[in-house]
Amino acid sequence: MSPCRRMLPLLDAFGDGELSADQSLQVEQHLVDCGHCTERIRLNEAVRVSMKRAAPVPSAAFKARLCAALAAERQREEHPSERIGRPLSWRTIAPIAVAASVALAFAAARPKPDTMGAVAGAARASLMGHSPSSSSMQSNAASVTATVEQLIDELVTHHQQGSHPNVTEAALLEQLEPEVGVPVRLPSLYGARWEGASVLPVKAMRNQRAASLRYSVGGHRVTLYVYNSANVPLRATLEPRVVYNTPVYVGERRGYSIAAVERRGVGYAVATDLNDSESAELVVASLH
Amino acid sequence: MTRRPSPPDDFEQLALEHLSSLLAVATRLTRNGAEAEDLVQDTLVKAFRAREQFTPGTNMRAWMLRILTNTFINRYRRGGLERAVLDGPDADPLADGWVSSSSMAALRDPETTALRPVLEREIGEALRELPEEFRLAVVLADVEELSYKEIADVMGCPVGTVMSRLHRGRRMLKSRLYEHALEMGIVGPEKVVGHEPASTNTVDLAQYRARRVKVG
Ligand SMILES: [Zn+2]
Repeated sequence: MSPCRRMLPLLDAFGDGELSADQSLQVEQHLVDCGHCTERIRLNEAVRVSMKRAAPVPSAAFKARLCAALAAERQREEHPSERIGRPLSWRTIAPIAVAASVALAFAAARPKPDTMGAVAGAARASLMGHSPSSSSMQSNAASVTATVEQLIDELVTHHQQGSHPNVTEAALLEQLEPEVGVPVRLPSLYGARWEGASVLPVKAMRNQRAASLRYSVGGHRVTLYVYNSANVPLRATLEPRVVYNTPVYVGERRGYSIAAVERRGVGYAVATDLNDSESAELVVASLH
Repeated sequence: MTRRPSPPDDFEQLALEHLSSLLAVATRLTRNGAEAEDLVQDTLVKAFRAREQFTPGTNMRAWMLRILTNTFINRYRRGGLERAVLDGPDADPLADGWVSSSSMAALRDPETTALRPVLEREIGEALRELPEEFRLAVVLADVEELSYKEIADVMGCPVGTVMSRLHRGRRMLKSRLYEHALEMGIVGPEKVVGHEPASTNTVDLAQYRARRVKVG
């Protein structure tokens, strides 16, 4: 076996400073005579250096987002029973609502509030395989449906009004993150022109905030909402559909179409005056 | 009613002191800045929830890196890849002496400074193509300069496993770098002479590249 062959297994650990004094000495002695192994060590070192380079400095916006997330955790711990008092806790109720939405498929028309309770309750009962055992749970599911409808209504109204965006530089978008609580990026929606962004407090969700990104495509206004999907269960009353292998929740309200997707805790919803398939395609595009 | 003493209120502050480390590692593990930030946020929230399990006075950075590592592995594990790599070609042109000293020098020190960013990007991409366990070992060793023992603790595996993952991970990185340099003409095949007879070099290299293409 050549000396180089014997050295090869030691070179990595030598560079990592993990050899015993004895072994280090052996390697060092070999390096004096062997330019080839010296070059190997240098190459290892160069790879290491370039890997360390380009480590990003955490942005102020990211730090603010983390502080907000940790503060929310602490508050959640200190007030675990918050849901008993105030209207509803979305964290706990959302799964029920989502389960109900699987069976509910009323997308086209907005049902009257008094029939919704019955529909949601029946849907929940059929999912559970028995009749509702708790009337309070039934009414919870119903009020989730009602509140999500109210939320969708708010978004449609916001989209319709087309209020003036207050952030118009893509580089400033990350400043919205602490308020929204999730990453806000600027997806390109099939080349639609981006006009600006703002933060929208969603009244129906106890002022949980969503970022709204306004685009224009072929003279149509497109509003993309970005939000924490755990807190804003938009899909709860929309109709599930699969577009490009992605589950999309779609609906039409007051002549506008709404399509929502979720990925890793971030919700994206599009409101347009285009048809519902077009909105669905746009919202899937927002994932890429 | 007795209550556990509540955990120190400065946990958030202590944890955020390690933010740069966490983000540096997350950036090298994930595909983009948004994913890296998500991974760090998940890590911090999990650390906060588990903060009573942390023993004050011990290495908090290592503890948080362990949480980050587990989160990363659980979320991104692609499965089966490590095996594919282990079963793949074992040839290593750099270690096996196909590559001359001058070519290695060219790899680490491109004569045109304009090439440096290209090669560095190549290293970044090659890193992202490594199986998760290999990538983790390399990043923890090279970016955070953890010792083998610390990496073993963070990854929950024996030191020997750390060493073999590091070795194979780095070898794959350098192979990729070398391939790329060949394509870009930074090193030329004519420079490929080593300890073996020159006549067999070209054949071996061609075979090596052909096998690499099949795997990659
Ligand atoms: Zn040697």
